Amino acid sequence: MGLVTLKDIRLKEYGLGDRELLKGLRDSAVRAKPEVCIERARYITRYYKDNPEGGEPAIVRYAKAVNHFLSNKEPLFFDGNLLAGTTTSKYFGAPVYPEFTGMTIWPELDTISARDKNPLKLSEEDAQMLNLDIYPYWMEMNVLEKTREKYKNPAPMKLFERIVFFLASKAGCISHTVPCYRAVLEKGLDGLLAEASKKEKAVRGKGTLSNEEQSSLAFYQAARIALEGIKNYAWSLSKKAAELASKERDPGKKANYEAMAAVCARVPARPARSFREAVNALWIAQVAVHAENINMAISPGRLDQILYPYYKKDIDNGTLTVKEAIDLVGCLWLKLNDNTNLVPETAEELFGGAGTVPAVTVGGVDVNGKDAVNDLTYVMLRVTELFKTRDPSMNARYHYEENSREYRDRVAEVIVNTKSVPAFHNDVVDIDVLGKHGATLEHARDYAVIGCVELASAGRSYDASSSIMLNLVSVLELALYNGRRPVTGDEVISFESGDPASFTGFEMFRDAFQKQLAWVIDKAVDLNNMFGTVYQEILPTPLLSALFEGPMESGKDLIFGGALYNASGATHIGFADTVDSLNAVEKAVFIDKICTFAELQQALKADFKGHEKLHAWLVNKAPKYGTADPVAVRNSQALVAYLHQLYQGRENYRGGKYRPGFWSMTNHAGQGKLSGALPNGRMASRVFASGITPASQAAAEVDACLKAVGGLPNDCIPGGEALNLKYPRVDAGDPEDIKKFGSAVEAYFQSGGLHVQFNIMSYDMLIDAKKNPDKYPELLVRVSGYSAYFKDLNDAMKDEIITRTAYDVRTGKREEFPEEHRDMLPFEPA
Amino acid sequence: MLEKIWHFMLFRFMRARKALEKIADLLGPAHFTEDMLLLLLDGMGLMFLISRRYRKNIEGFEGKYVFRSVDGSFAVSATFRNGKMKVKRGELDGPNITVNFKNSHALMNFLFSPKPDVLGAMLNQDVVLDGNLNYLYKFAYMANHVRLKGPELLEG
Repeated sequence: MGLVTLKDIRLKEYGLGDRELLKGLRDSAVRAKPEVCIERARYITRYYKDNPEGGEPAIVRYAKAVNHFLSNKEPLFFDGNLLAGTTTSKYFGAPVYPEFTGMTIWPELDTISARDKNPLKLSEEDAQMLNLDIYPYWMEMNVLEKTREKYKNPAPMKLFERIVFFLASKAGCISHTVPCYRAVLEKGLDGLLAEASKKEKAVRGKGTLSNEEQSSLAFYQAARIALEGIKNYAWSLSKKAAELASKERDPGKKANYEAMAAVCARVPARPARSFREAVNALWIAQVAVHAENINMAISPGRLDQILYPYYKKDIDNGTLTVKEAIDLVGCLWLKLNDNTNLVPETAEELFGGAGTVPAVTVGGVDVNGKDAVNDLTYVMLRVTELFKTRDPSMNARYHYEENSREYRDRVAEVIVNTKSVPAFHNDVVDIDVLGKHGATLEHARDYAVIGCVELASAGRSYDASSSIMLNLVSVLELALYNGRRPVTGDEVISFESGDPASFTGFEMFRDAFQKQLAWVIDKAVDLNNMFGTVYQEILPTPLLSALFEGPMESGKDLIFGGALYNASGATHIGFADTVDSLNAVEKAVFIDKICTFAELQQALKADFKGHEKLHAWLVNKAPKYGTADPVAVRNSQALVAYLHQLYQGRENYRGGKYRPGFWSMTNHAGQGKLSGALPNGRMASRVFASGITPASQAAAEVDACLKAVGGLPNDCIPGGEALNLKYPRVDAGDPEDIKKFGSAVEAYFQSGGLHVQFNIMSYDMLIDAKKNPDKYPELLVRVSGYSAYFKDLNDAMKDEIITRTAYDVRTGKREEFPEEHRDMLPFEPA
Repeated sequence: MLEKIWHFMLFRFMRARKALEKIADLLGPAHFTEDMLLLLLDGMGLMFLISRRYRKNIEGFEGKYVFRSVDGSFAVSATFRNGKMKVKRGELDGPNITVNFKNSHALMNFLFSPKPDVLGAMLNQDVVLDGNLNYLYKFAYMANHVRLKGPELLEG
């Protein structure tokens, strides 16, 4: 507890009730309706139109476009927030990135303001600018179409565009990473610019340059141009704040404008000297990264570590109080909520309710392996507890050998009080996993969470952790239907791996499944590598690269493999349903011979109508992942290991390996709606289980469930996992409840689990929230990695959260699902 | 007044859908679907002729579209060039995008949906696309726009 000096780590004396500033800001932010912001699209497009492709490298041209936008970006101050800088020109904005996925809303320009799911306000004038000016320019130029053109509409792209096999997010962005903001605070942009200039000069000094040296030269030029853009934006903010201060009559507001003017005149150009300067510099850097890259899971990292030196210095010299620190952290949390994704209405079915998922990580150990929890960790936990906002995606690292029980139980208490956040991460296993995948021990210890649950050595590892989202159930169906899927009809999608009705042993079916899996993974990986190559040609990322360890030293952009570590992430949808279906096939067809494979196929095609006896057996007797059944244990562990083997056998376009993970956002609901009945008894068109979580109601006791998940070969899960648990009742005021809660997490971590997140809510409460959304306007839930407001989720996703197994925190026993609502369960007829 | 006429036409058109589908069953769905698609695309082409505001959408735009069934039982093409839209029966060479409908029913569903949804149709496997998706996004915008803003466009 050396770094913890607070007398009360709960910081109970600091509430929202007596904090006019934070309460007002928070209430306005939560109530705000999102608006489409075309500011960035307008500037970037204008720059590209006015400066056609010519002699200069693509990286320099893009850096100039980003600089053009940042230098002209309007400095806006919407409210009394203590931090200057906004992601968009709207109070709560969804920026348009036409070169990535921004064109998918073209068909909705007239309707997006009034659409049923998560509408976004868009003025007619802006809609017409998108329709007539911005979108037409990018029709042949965005990443997807450039890839199609370069590779002549390749087969993997056609498979991707069926949507039901895998998603390739590289079509949409360079994202899902943790920049090195520490460098901005310590060196200032001037320091980074000096480094770039020095390197550029050194390359120029070589005389005749090789191709590689020319690329390096272009990279340093581009990095300089992009970083200058950030300085220009900060300077605009400073000037505007000073102007507003001169006109402001309210002394409090005037002082705030004056302070912001002074802060932005200093940072991020020069090193931060105070906590306020550090927080604002970090925020401006985050805004700038989004000027270049799409707003998806760009994660600020270990903020309690990065900002701690500034906090401690100010506290020690008496220029900062805990109350002021809470205000500044609160303002940062709200700034991280100032933007949202722009997605078409249909995509809400797959990613419904997601914010931009900027993950903040706290706690854990330092690079020397010692307890890193400090006073600022508790300040951030308190703000999280008070705010209960969707973003930032809060993650608490816990090292059961180094961190204190007080810290563990305080995290548990915050989860209970917010009903859902933060998520818990296991330091012991996470560090080990990263180490086994190439990180040095010090770098592994300094990991942060990306977006949902993925792990990165912060600021050093470019992981693109959401490159592939692969639907495992689609692969299972390809094996069940000899290369076809019910949703895609009679067309042979992959290859005929044999009619399972002719199989004489489970091994034959497993072999067919594995071959189909290898085929789909190959296609997904091939496509991701094609996209990566196209990024290298048309849209490198010099600004983000300048905020990483590696590129400045090597003269290589991130997209060319400049980071110290390189990987691409592939996550999986429908893990539990796939494992349970393999279990069911093995047990029902080949061990107990309850039915033939042909009979099972008939039952699946009929969605179990007329096959009720078999269905009941599959639901109640077949082995289930989440229990100690040896068939289930073997199949679950084997699948994890096999996926790891396949992915690690493939290299990405940057020379890194692919890393499998198990988190599903809301895809398990969306993809579930498009899948047929499964051998585990799940009916057609029903949701899958989320992430790595066992299927609904499969595990009768939480201990068995945690052992099963913890027992998976965790060194084969470098891409992270999302385990969702539900406790209906935990009394935050009862130390016994909190201790039990914390102890269960610790036992799970000791058994090997990487991650766990909770919803502290009962079946009845969630059913009521679905029925009466207005009664629960701010009900925050963990989905499968990220947080969302329950009311924003689609119905299928709401059902999945409702039907997740609930356990009594004291007994660990499963609670009975309400009899009158059993038709919501995925294995019950509707 | 124009707005009322427009809404009346839309209402009648939607109401007629079931009757049209019955006729389709009698005449043979593929031919009927092809005729319906031609009629709708011609209607769109007519709007481009009479509305300057609507025509702005295709000024300087060149694009070739093929709408067909997976089994090839119907096919209609549309070409945009020189600020005009031309529609013809059958396929054409070098389309920017080919929209393959699963069957006549899928096309009718798409055409008469109160909210035609490209991605939704892809997700439900009602259409399989081959080519540049942005061309379809643009087309879907133009189709939705004329449906929603018809009277305003006529005034313009």
